[in-house]
Amino acid sequence: MTAERDEILRVEGLGIRFGGLVAVNDVAFTVRRGEVFGLLGPNGAGKTTLFNLIAGALRPTSGRIWFEGRDVTRLGPDRRSRRGIARTFQITQPFAELTVEENVMAAALVRHRSLAEMRAAAGPFVEMVGLAHKRHALAKELSTGQRKRLELARAMATGPRLLLLDEVTGGVDQASIPGLIDLVARLRAEGMTLILVEHNMRVIMRLSDRMMFLNRGEKLAEGPPDAIAAHPDVVGLYLGAAHA
Amino acid sequence: MFAPLAPQGRAAVALLVAVLLILPLVWHDTYALHLIILSMIFGAFAVAWNFTTGYAGLKTFGHHAFFGIGAYFSALISKNLEISPWLTTPAAGLVAAAAGLVVALPVLRIRSVPHVAMVTLGFAEIVRVLLTVFRETTRGEMGLWGIPAYDGFTIPGLGEIAFNAAEKVPYYYLAAFLFLGSVYAVVRMVKSPIGLALVAIRDSQDAAESLGISLTRYKLLAFSTSAFMVGLLGAFYAHYILLLTPSSVLGLDLMIYIIGITLIGGVGTLFGPIIGAFVLTIGIEAMRGIGEYRMLIYGALIIVVVMFMPRGLVALLDRLGPRMGFGRGVALATSDDAAKAG
Repeated sequence: MTAERDEILRVEGLGIRFGGLVAVNDVAFTVRRGEVFGLLGPNGAGKTTLFNLIAGALRPTSGRIWFEGRDVTRLGPDRRSRRGIARTFQITQPFAELTVEENVMAAALVRHRSLAEMRAAAGPFVEMVGLAHKRHALAKELSTGQRKRLELARAMATGPRLLLLDEVTGGVDQASIPGLIDLVARLRAEGMTLILVEHNMRVIMRLSDRMMFLNRGEKLAEGPPDAIAAHPDVVGLYLGAAHA
Repeated sequence: MFAPLAPQGRAAVALLVAVLLILPLVWHDTYALHLIILSMIFGAFAVAWNFTTGYAGLKTFGHHAFFGIGAYFSALISKNLEISPWLTTPAAGLVAAAAGLVVALPVLRIRSVPHVAMVTLGFAEIVRVLLTVFRETTRGEMGLWGIPAYDGFTIPGLGEIAFNAAEKVPYYYLAAFLFLGSVYAVVRMVKSPIGLALVAIRDSQDAAESLGISLTRYKLLAFSTSAFMVGLLGAFYAHYILLLTPSSVLGLDLMIYIIGITLIGGVGTLFGPIIGAFVLTIGIEAMRGIGEYRMLIYGALIIVVVMFMPRGLVALLDRLGPRMGFGRGVALATSDDAAKAG
């Protein structure tokens, strides 16, 4: 019973094909409340596609997705966001012509009536990600690392209960990486349920409670980080290639 | 973008509005008033188009359909059913808004800019062809005439207000009402959560949607309110000019004219289209003496502005911005800049 109550996301038999290409095939897993669930896999393994399926940006060709016990398979991304699923984008999608504060206000739009309320709601998230000094800067003026922080602030400002983070450290200069990792670690400490996609093996091993290893759209392994790291397929496909 | 105008900016706007409203009382040149009426109508049209294109980012090239629908609907209903143009004009706005919803539905499913442009342009062409073909009712390119003017009325203290070709002042004030009303409505929407949602959608549909913003709801809203305004303007035009042909109110050159106005003034800015409308409408007339060469100058002006001032003439105002307190609210940069930054 407790296992069911703790479960926040359930995915069963999930698959999507683009024409002849099967990008995700028959994937099943569950995520528990307060857990950090890491997705690992080589390029083209289907991590971002799976992400888009959970966020609702893509509709699956097979399978079902339950969030907090309710079937959300047919809901679009805006309705899933209102249900409590938030996400960041691997390639950041700032509202370029809006300021940092206005970007985060847009995330508070659904739950507030006036701009003043949205501004008040946005403030703590702008501060949380350390962009208070950039509050009135246009989003297009931000560095990549700052854009990643903005994505985090925006996602958090929707008031999510499940947060999907797509390559938080991807494409970011080395110096900015520790700060971003600290941010994710803080969300984790605060009890936010996270699903991470991360290229950086060390980062994802450190942050995740449980991991799933994907290859060619299929789940190869699932378990605690050290078990995944020791899994022969992972060693062969991922670490093997990385250390070669 | 959402900050209110500073006192200097407010004062400047109030002064301009006052000049606009006092002008016909002191300047009795009928032709000049006619040009200002046209500037206001096309200015409001450009403001409405800019609302969907510059703010919501829905690049539609078929807005002249709503102008034509409004014009023909109000003209035909008032003429054939003998209903007062005062009633058929707002009704024309509603009919245009309904047409806007119909066009917006396919647009919702399309994310590619050229495809949105083609669908909307195609819609306008269909409307134009239909009005040309049903010539028993519309008289096609022979021209629809005998359109009733607005009924006169009496204002206590001012006397009889009559709408006829000789008397421009009543039309002037009606046009000013539509113009200021459209600008006010768009400014209010842009500087509200609606504007925030629309610009977010323009800058990244995927991100906006991921934050819970309903693309369907806001796109339909942008399209239908804009079509409503343009429909009203078309109806006014019909009862003002009193002669309609499909090519005059539904021709592609009308749409190109509105696009020219907006580009020269400044896309995605609040005051750009207004500046563009006055500069182009009055400028082209001022050059009437040089005949067809004026179209050459018109074309050259668009090229020069697009090449050297991609943000439009409003960018000049923007230099005064800090002093006037207009800031970014006036010259919110175009999506081209966004593309460059991206």
